[in-house]
Amino acid sequence: MNALHVVFKVGEAEYVLAASDVLQMETFSRATEVPGAASYVAGLVQLRGQVIPVVDLRARFGLPPIARTLDARVLVVRDGDRVVGLLADSAREVINLDTETFQKPPGAIGTQSAGFVSAVAQAGTRLVMQIDFQKVIGQDGIPKERKDGAET
Amino acid sequence: MSQRLDVSEFLTGYLAEAEEHLAIARSCLTTIHAAIQRSELSPKSVRELFRSIHTLKGLSSMVGAEPIVQLTHEMETLLRAATKAGGDLPAGAIDIVVASLGAIEERISQVAKREPLTAAPKALLDALGELQFEGRPPSQKGTLDLDDETLAKLSAGEREELLQGLGGGRRAVRVEFVPSQKLSSEGFNITKVRSELTKLGDLVKVLPRSIPGAAGNPAQVAFVLLLVTSADDDAIAAACATTPEEVRAIASSIVPLPAASSVAMEATNDASGDDLERSPRQGDVLRVEVKRLDEALDGLSSLVVSRWRIERAVWKLDEEHANTRELKNLLLENGRQLRDLRAAIMRARMVPVSELLERTPLLVRGLARSSNKLVRLTIEAGTSELDKSVVDRLFPVIVHLLRNAVDHALETPEGRKAAGKPEEGNIRVTCRTQSATQLALVISDDGRGVDAARVAARAKSEMPRTDAELLALITRSGLSTLDKATHTSGRGLGMDIVKRVVEAELGGELTMQTERGKGTTFTLLVPLSVTIFDVFSFSAGGNTYVVPVSTVEDLIEVSSRSIVLAPNPSADGNAVRLLRHRGQTLPLYRVDALLGLKSSPAPTPKAIIVRRDTQSFAFEVDHMLGQKEVVVRPLRDPLVRVRGISGSTDLGDGEPTLVLDLPSLLYRPTLQGLAS
Repeated sequence: MNALHVVFKVGEAEYVLAASDVLQMETFSRATEVPGAASYVAGLVQLRGQVIPVVDLRARFGLPPIARTLDARVLVVRDGDRVVGLLADSAREVINLDTETFQKPPGAIGTQSAGFVSAVAQAGTRLVMQIDFQKVIGQDGIPKERKDGAET
Repeated sequence: MSQRLDVSEFLTGYLAEAEEHLAIARSCLTTIHAAIQRSELSPKSVRELFRSIHTLKGLSSMVGAEPIVQLTHEMETLLRAATKAGGDLPAGAIDIVVASLGAIEERISQVAKREPLTAAPKALLDALGELQFEGRPPSQKGTLDLDDETLAKLSAGEREELLQGLGGGRRAVRVEFVPSQKLSSEGFNITKVRSELTKLGDLVKVLPRSIPGAAGNPAQVAFVLLLVTSADDDAIAAACATTPEEVRAIASSIVPLPAASSVAMEATNDASGDDLERSPRQGDVLRVEVKRLDEALDGLSSLVVSRWRIERAVWKLDEEHANTRELKNLLLENGRQLRDLRAAIMRARMVPVSELLERTPLLVRGLARSSNKLVRLTIEAGTSELDKSVVDRLFPVIVHLLRNAVDHALETPEGRKAAGKPEEGNIRVTCRTQSATQLALVISDDGRGVDAARVAARAKSEMPRTDAELLALITRSGLSTLDKATHTSGRGLGMDIVKRVVEAELGGELTMQTERGKGTTFTLLVPLSVTIFDVFSFSAGGNTYVVPVSTVEDLIEVSSRSIVLAPNPSADGNAVRLLRHRGQTLPLYRVDALLGLKSSPAPTPKAIIVRRDTQSFAFEVDHMLGQKEVVVRPLRDPLVRVRGISGSTDLGDGEPTLVLDLPSLLYRPTLQGLAS
């Protein structure tokens, strides 16, 4: 089945997210830092009246920080009630990918983003990785919260 | 359907609300009944009754109580018509409504006992259905002098037409046409009569009537014709091939209607009647100052803090390997109770949207009068509720949009006629809950639409290509397409303010669709609830933060002379700074350090003194920036739910600014050393 996917870059690697998972894409200038939040939380941005947290994918994937360029994009995704932004180095294309050709990621993927990659696909000559955004934004909160709340 | 939905809890809520609305309905009925006895109308009670029944219907459909939905639906239709007729219920309606309410009550108690519901009594449903078509003409306007058989065949609308066409020399008449061979040969048949009468006035109804056969004459059909006309009896008689004596006036107007009544209102009523009428909800509604609820919220937040302190004490016990199992269970339960309590207080702040919109018909009526326009305002407020603080901010916005609609959007009756529209302009306000957190308020008119070219010329800008671009131009500050301020719109609140309130202050969204000659629709998406705080803004570590004014005890300059250094027992070895303030010695913390930011001492640091329980703390900041009233949005996402940060706000720059709960920063687990 063919489906539209948004291609974005984090570091040297190219990733994809199903276009249906992406609510909107925004340019990124700055985010309000939230001291005390996880290190990969870039901060808060206000989009159309809504305040949403932004996950810095570089930090999440264990890459060193770089100076943000005008290419930086926030991909806004929704998971249930949560609306979260994913900050990528750039996001330029939307391509059609045949989801049947998606394969399980080989263990050889050496980057630290491996845990977040749910599938790999061939787009022409390029290899793109589909990320599991729910895992990226964490489904059950940051570990700190777990410590004081969920014990029964 | 989520399996985790707690049905029993849902039902408890339903029963409580249903009971409340039943009580309101009963009380309204008492008032209406008393009014009928005095031959008076009670529009407010009828409207209130309508609302309660409407709400009951909505609630019941959520729990799937179909028989109740059926009954309330029929009652609703009846009451809606009565509301439109100024509170006039058809004769006999009261008894049927009372019986229906009884039937509803029975079924609600079945819901309570988890019993299967008995079907809605067909007799009642039928009676309600019949009543809907019966509404007797409002007494002020006159009555129709017709036999019951004919009356029964007229719809409410037709009766209204016969009565409303009166005045200015027009009258409603009844005339009969009895076809015969002879007449037919002269060219008189019903088709011809119809067309002749149409030339003389408005032919409202043609009813066939059978004339029983008598000696020598077979039974035959005659036609009863009802029309509103200014022609004289002779002309009418001639058109029907009968004698002037057969033409009979059927409607007498007691109070002559003004030539043009300026506004037709739905869901409205006379203000004077309003005041006289006893409010049926008096008994179970308590008016409370918002301030008192805020005090309750403040009290609650100190409870939350003590809970954190207890939590911290429990962690300490944990470290000492004590058995804290039971304590932790208690803490969990306590946390749930605090959340429930908070929700209960927030609920008490909710105001029905219908109450917010209640004030608009009078406003529109006044505007229509002063601008010589005919306006029909339709309000569908639904059952949504909004936080008081949202209502207070939203009302001026609605007023402004309605003013714009009456003054600028709707054409004069002549202009509308020329454009091929009905003379009466329509403004519709509808409201529905969009999601668990948002409400959509739609204000639309069928006026001339926004003139994009004119707006562009005025803004000295390119022609906007989309409605969104056009809206951006209109909401640019200080732009008005009218050369002169009109009587009503004046220069007051502009569209720029409307946008600012909806988007910046409430965190909502404003959109517009407009079509030349067809009309304009504004859609406002607003959050159901926001929390408004008066805050101080300050800078620390190069960033801007705010704290609620209510938590601040004092703001002071920090001078080196007022600081005392004390040894620190904790591992980091840094001395604890103490600040002397009004005879007390307070621990002084740098906010940037507490937040883990780089600190660079400011030349003239300030300290914010905050009291929490019995202890005061001093927090050092670089600069104080100002004081402002802002909307605080809670940070719900787990990624940014951090102790000491209670929410975010917009100070007007379009970027989120964090709201700090300063004492809670001391309880951050990583900073425990500093807090001791």
